Amino acid sequence: MAGPDVAWYVATAAVLFGIGALGVLIRRNTLVVLLSLELMLNAGNLALIALSRHWHNGAGQIFALAVMAVAASEVCVGLGLVVALNRRNLSLDVDTLSELKG
Amino acid sequence: MTAGSWLCLLAPLGGTILILLCGTRIPRVAAAWIAATSVFVAFGGAIWAFLGVRSTTGHVGELTTAWTWLQSGNFHAGLQLLVDPLSTVMMLIVSGVGGLIVLYSIGYMDGDDEERRYFAYIAFFVFSMLLLVEGGNLLMLLAGWGLVGLSSYLLIGFWHDRPSAVRAAKKAFVMNAFGDATMALAFFILIAHTSSLSFATDFNVHLSSTATNLIALGLLGGAAAKSAQIPLQTWLPDAMEGPTPVSALIHAATMVTAGVYLIARTHPIFEQARTVELIAAGTGALTLLVAGLVALVQTDIKRVIAYSTMSQIGYMFLGAGVGAYSAGMFHLVTHAFFKALLFMTAGLAIHALAGEQDIRKMRGLGRVMPFTKWCFLAGALALVGVPPFSGFFSKDSIVASAAALGTWYGWIFWVCGIAGALLTGLYTFRLWFLVFGAGSAAGKAGDARPGTGSPTAIPGGEPSPFVREHYHRHGRFEGPLTMLVPVGVLAVLATVGGWLQWAPKWHPFTNWLAPAAQTLAAAEPTSTQEYYTSAATVIAGLAGIGLAWAIYSERKLAIPAAPFWRRLLEHKFYFDELYDALFYRPGVSIANGLRREFEEPVVLQTSADIGEVTMETGSLVRRIQTGLLRTYVLFLAGGAAAVVLAFLIAK
Repeated sequence: MAGPDVAWYVATAAVLFGIGALGVLIRRNTLVVLLSLELMLNAGNLALIALSRHWHNGAGQIFALAVMAVAASEVCVGLGLVVALNRRNLSLDVDTLSELKG
Repeated sequence: MTAGSWLCLLAPLGGTILILLCGTRIPRVAAAWIAATSVFVAFGGAIWAFLGVRSTTGHVGELTTAWTWLQSGNFHAGLQLLVDPLSTVMMLIVSGVGGLIVLYSIGYMDGDDEERRYFAYIAFFVFSMLLLVEGGNLLMLLAGWGLVGLSSYLLIGFWHDRPSAVRAAKKAFVMNAFGDATMALAFFILIAHTSSLSFATDFNVHLSSTATNLIALGLLGGAAAKSAQIPLQTWLPDAMEGPTPVSALIHAATMVTAGVYLIARTHPIFEQARTVELIAAGTGALTLLVAGLVALVQTDIKRVIAYSTMSQIGYMFLGAGVGAYSAGMFHLVTHAFFKALLFMTAGLAIHALAGEQDIRKMRGLGRVMPFTKWCFLAGALALVGVPPFSGFFSKDSIVASAAALGTWYGWIFWVCGIAGALLTGLYTFRLWFLVFGAGSAAGKAGDARPGTGSPTAIPGGEPSPFVREHYHRHGRFEGPLTMLVPVGVLAVLATVGGWLQWAPKWHPFTNWLAPAAQTLAAAEPTSTQEYYTSAATVIAGLAGIGLAWAIYSERKLAIPAAPFWRRLLEHKFYFDELYDALFYRPGVSIANGLRREFEEPVVLQTSADIGEVTMETGSLVRRIQTGLLRTYVLFLAGGAAAVVLAFLIAK
């Protein structure tokens, strides 16, 4: 097959995953956290597709489609939360949303 | 015959369960009649069983086993009932006299708030007592023994808002528990040697004399506790805190006689430990004197009769102890009649005076309650043993058996018996003259005689001011019919009940009991001994009556001052004080010490500490719950990384 080695794809996916994970852990804005989550999901998708092409197995691509569906629904829920927070004029800072503190 | 015994046993239990299940849905008097009916059905069963035993040849009786209850190695114990001459006598007395007393309680307890509980308890008591006497092996006897102790506790403390009643109930139970412990120890020795508690094995085995003596001592301890003999007698007078029918049933006719039944039933063991048997006789002789003396100074009508019970059971122990089992049992039967009669007539008086029990206030009651007066007189004459009343026939056989022994202690017992008859006459007729007496001619003139030294200074048969104020009739009669009928029946029985046997000439009772409890040859009195003993006891009894008449009725004699003796008798020979110092105070101080040193610092503190440690750990763990999303995601990510690492390393 033409193009770069599968290792490049997997490495890119890993880097993207790392950036997304860091974003979830470090950023305080809820929307950015959701964005980083999406980034992690897409990194996973990339890895799935690349390896599926490498091993000539269609299962990876089918699973990637499923992951996309899950991501979409999760985004709905997440953005719904953000909109609800905004409606109640609550701050979107995840550090202030700590009412479940023991 | 066995069906009769099962019916007899289970009918009162059925009555109890029915009353318990119905609870407050039935009216109180319905519960009362359920109890009375169940005991009368039991009486029917007892008659059936009696007739059944009578129709068998040799009157040997039958042992039925329902099922094996306890099985451990070689040791079997079954739910067994024994129907033999001895147990049928007890069954008839318990259910017959018991039925009359339950009928009496219907009138006596009428209007009490907790009447249903009373009748449930009393039916349960009758069941327990029947279990005791019908038990076919020593384990069933012990089960009945414990249950009658429980029923006694429940019934003495029936009026539980009275602290004196609660204390009396605890005292009775604890003293009986001591007796239960000695009996249990005796049974352990028996099991250790014979692996069996059945009558057949245990009565035919011959163990070493140490073992036999220990067993007999343990049995004697239990009998003495249950029958309120010295040294375990202090609970009986206090037990008078219970309602009068309870005193009549439990502490006169049935439960306290269980000790005598035990000795008669286990007589083969006692005969092998003859010394212990004679100790039992000695205990009886001592108790009959001590109780008779203490009864002379009591002012509560029920306590006089209670001490009288203690004294008469002393006679029964004397009879059973020397080996005259049928004489002891015959006295048990007649005693049930006249003692229950005495308690019930006292109850009529108490009921009519709305609860007053002090005889000093009851003077002149005979004028307004003639039926009660004459029934009490019948009971009193039976108690003293005046012919032809029932006590005469039974008591004299016992004293004559003591003479028949011929030994030095036999003569001592004989003298005790005669002296006891004198005391009996004295204290019984002291009670009679003070409460029901008609007063002397001189007294009727109404002058108070100073310096007589007697408790009531104003003589005469006139009702005292107290009686005049508090006495209330029950319609036309002195009490409700349910109270008067049993008293009347028992008065007749107390009069004619003794005609069942006159030892020198005619003894169907002894013949009936012979298969179960044969009188020892050493204790069989000759006709001559019977005659002169009867003469002596009757003369002593009449002398006692005469003394009482002279002191309390005619005021011819004064009671000697003798302050030391009076104090000694009023303090009941200081037994209560002795036990208080020996057992109660040390026990209380040990309990308090343990509470202070061990329970509070160690036990309570431990559970408090466990709670505190848990809470502190909890607050430490609580720190994980920061409520911040970021912390949780960090843990999530860290955990996932750790799992992946673990997999990689494992591979």
